[in-house]
Amino acid sequence: MQGFEARFHDGVTARVEPVRLVPPLGGQGAIEILASDDASRDRWPVETLYTVPTRKGTLRLGSTARPAGARLEVTGKAEVQRLLDLLPGIGHRRTADRRRQLGVIGLATAALGSLIIAYVVGVPLLARNIVGLVPAAWEESLGATVAVQIEQALSQGAGFAVCDPDPQSLANRAIARFAHSVAAGTGTPFSPRISVIRSDIPNAFALPGGQAYYFSALLDRTSSADEFAGVLAHELGHVVYRHGLEGLVSTSATGLLIGFVLGDLTGLSIAGGLGSALIDTRFSREAEREADRFALDAARRLGFRPAGLADLLDRISEDDRMSRALALLSTHPLSEERRAALEDMDSGGETLSPAFTPIEWQAIKSMCAEAEGPRSSVSIGERPGSQSRQRDLVPLETAP
Amino acid sequence: MTDRGEDTDVGSARFVAGRWPLFWLLLRGYLLMLPTLGIYRFWLTTQTRRFYWTNTLIGGEPLEYTGNALQLLVGFFFAVAFFLPLYIAFFYFATQGGDVAVIGYGVVGLLFWFMTGYALYRARDFRLSRTLWRGIRFDQRGSAWAYAARRFLWSLVVLATLGLAYPFMAASLWRYRWTHCFYGDRRFAFSGSWRTLAGPFYRLYFGLLILAVIAFIIAVTLEGRAWPWLVFGSLFLLCAFLGWYHYRARTLSRLYSCVTLGAARLDLRVRARILVGQVLAYGALALLWSILCFVGGIIVVILLLGEGAVASGLPDAADLARLARTGWAEVALVIGSYLGFVGGLALLGEVVFGYGYWALLARGARVSGLESLASVRAAAEDRSVVGEGLADALNIGAY
Repeated sequence: MQGFEARFHDGVTARVEPVRLVPPLGGQGAIEILASDDASRDRWPVETLYTVPTRKGTLRLGSTARPAGARLEVTGKAEVQRLLDLLPGIGHRRTADRRRQLGVIGLATAALGSLIIAYVVGVPLLARNIVGLVPAAWEESLGATVAVQIEQALSQGAGFAVCDPDPQSLANRAIARFAHSVAAGTGTPFSPRISVIRSDIPNAFALPGGQAYYFSALLDRTSSADEFAGVLAHELGHVVYRHGLEGLVSTSATGLLIGFVLGDLTGLSIAGGLGSALIDTRFSREAEREADRFALDAARRLGFRPAGLADLLDRISEDDRMSRALALLSTHPLSEERRAALEDMDSGGETLSPAFTPIEWQAIKSMCAEAEGPRSSVSIGERPGSQSRQRDLVPLETAP
Repeated sequence: MTDRGEDTDVGSARFVAGRWPLFWLLLRGYLLMLPTLGIYRFWLTTQTRRFYWTNTLIGGEPLEYTGNALQLLVGFFFAVAFFLPLYIAFFYFATQGGDVAVIGYGVVGLLFWFMTGYALYRARDFRLSRTLWRGIRFDQRGSAWAYAARRFLWSLVVLATLGLAYPFMAASLWRYRWTHCFYGDRRFAFSGSWRTLAGPFYRLYFGLLILAVIAFIIAVTLEGRAWPWLVFGSLFLLCAFLGWYHYRARTLSRLYSCVTLGAARLDLRVRARILVGQVLAYGALALLWSILCFVGGIIVVILLLGEGAVASGLPDAADLARLARTGWAEVALVIGSYLGFVGGLALLGEVVFGYGYWALLARGARVSGLESLASVRAAAEDRSVVGEGLADALNIGAY
């Protein structure tokens, strides 16, 4: 039998015509399309032929020289194979196209891969540069907003109870003096403000714009003026480096990148959240180290013992199994790691003097003891939603 | 001459592929997404569509999907360009408190809702204009903006009437979609109206409302006991579940059966029990998969941490975190298992619901008057559609 039975669509009308195909001898020339009365219906030059993906056991051909919808379809496994053998160019073109597709996939993957690497390496730099462009006044108003949100979240809408509201008290004056001397010479546009707050959570954190908090539960466990000074200096490090704003920038950028990989730009998927958390953890660990180094620097300048910060972290982490368990996703490096880092930095040797006089320290220690106000009813383990905008010393998931 | 076997059932649509080829196609695609950082999804989507299209035969002639993965990739870039300003807006709102943030998020939420309509229409345009049958392309004309505005305003009306206006909305949107839909130079028509849906919709609406009131009254009269809540609550949920799929089946059949193309008309029968069967099948498979993953996960954790590590019985969050801390390989393992689990569920979803829905439509459809379509001529080429990235990005893409 000569030729192949096929169905023909001319791509101009919706008619289906049964035709017979006669491939050229030697695979060169044109494929002859004969109508049912053996009259020539069309001729498709072989070099214009391309295959169209279709179901198994079927060959579907188009021609670049014909309307885009024009098709020839041959069915039957054996027939298809026989025809393909007579038209070797088609197979080659199919392989070439497949190779092209692979090339595009490889290129796109490489591009995305380098984007991710550039991001992970470069975002701290990028975030810092963007943060440098943000006016200080804007960050201060951001800090004020965040302060309201965090107060509401942590005190269940009741607002923070400040331990010693009189700014002229001995304790508050000593703290303000300390904050001022730590910030002096760093070139920070912010004037740091530190409030000691009544709360059951052993924590301290700084907000964008210069506001920092020290919770009474942490003060209870703070046993020396050096420890207190170390924590304050660490928090002021976050303020000076503008880590809060930096975190906000990098979180937004990470969300965009993860959305790019997963294809879900709304960022609502769990995988997106998990991925963002993992990447952001990296950045915030770096921020913690930076704040530790800042605290150490301040200790050197002011002459107090920097290991106090590590002592306190040790004490807190002893009864803090949960925070270790969640270390991977927590925004904080492990205490052991930090302790080692802090002690490495703690070269000693200089004349060490307490950051606060014994009388001042006594006054600070008793700031929250005197007042009779109702204790904040925050339950332990609660965490504010806007975690990326605050920089806390220890994770809030703290088991008693 | 070809003796075309389908002569016996000209007019009916057929879907000639089984589930397993789709399963293997998806499995391969999901695995390839890992080394390609997700880029492969555009190719997988293209292959999945080719699978559905080429295995669907109407009057013996298969559909053909002429789109390719690069178009989807480009469309995705457009979506990113759309989302970028929104990201900056979100960043700004996050730094603002009180009214600014509330109003800002509200405006963005409304914008999203509006753009969902736009994206759906463009996605439909993308798919239809890349669907070839008997050498002639389909097309979706009309304006995606007009459609989005129509859908947005109707949804406000539906909200204001507590859902009672829904049949009017659905009829209006279906009419817009189909009367702007073309096969070559021939235009589709839609003969349905709100009455097409009214019966099933209001029956479901008021049926459930009455049932809820009765259940509530009975449970309150027998106050102080938990079992009435439990019994009537589950009864209500069961009725809502079955009622919903009954409604879905009825309205799908009716709405599609209102679609005509010149002298050709579509007649669709969808059975509710098949829809319910799909849900049950998916539930059972998903449960099985979850159990498998859970058991497998425990075994892996025990192997990695040693038997002593999980002495207390089941591994808890702390054990997992410890596992995650031991090194990057373990972190990769944790993330990999999570992706495997979620990917498995997505795969099952596509094989059960995606395939099921397509097969249901294709197999339940009968087309009469096909011979009248022989005179349809091709329309001018339409290459303007860049893709449907927005729909994908908004997570509303279908096939």
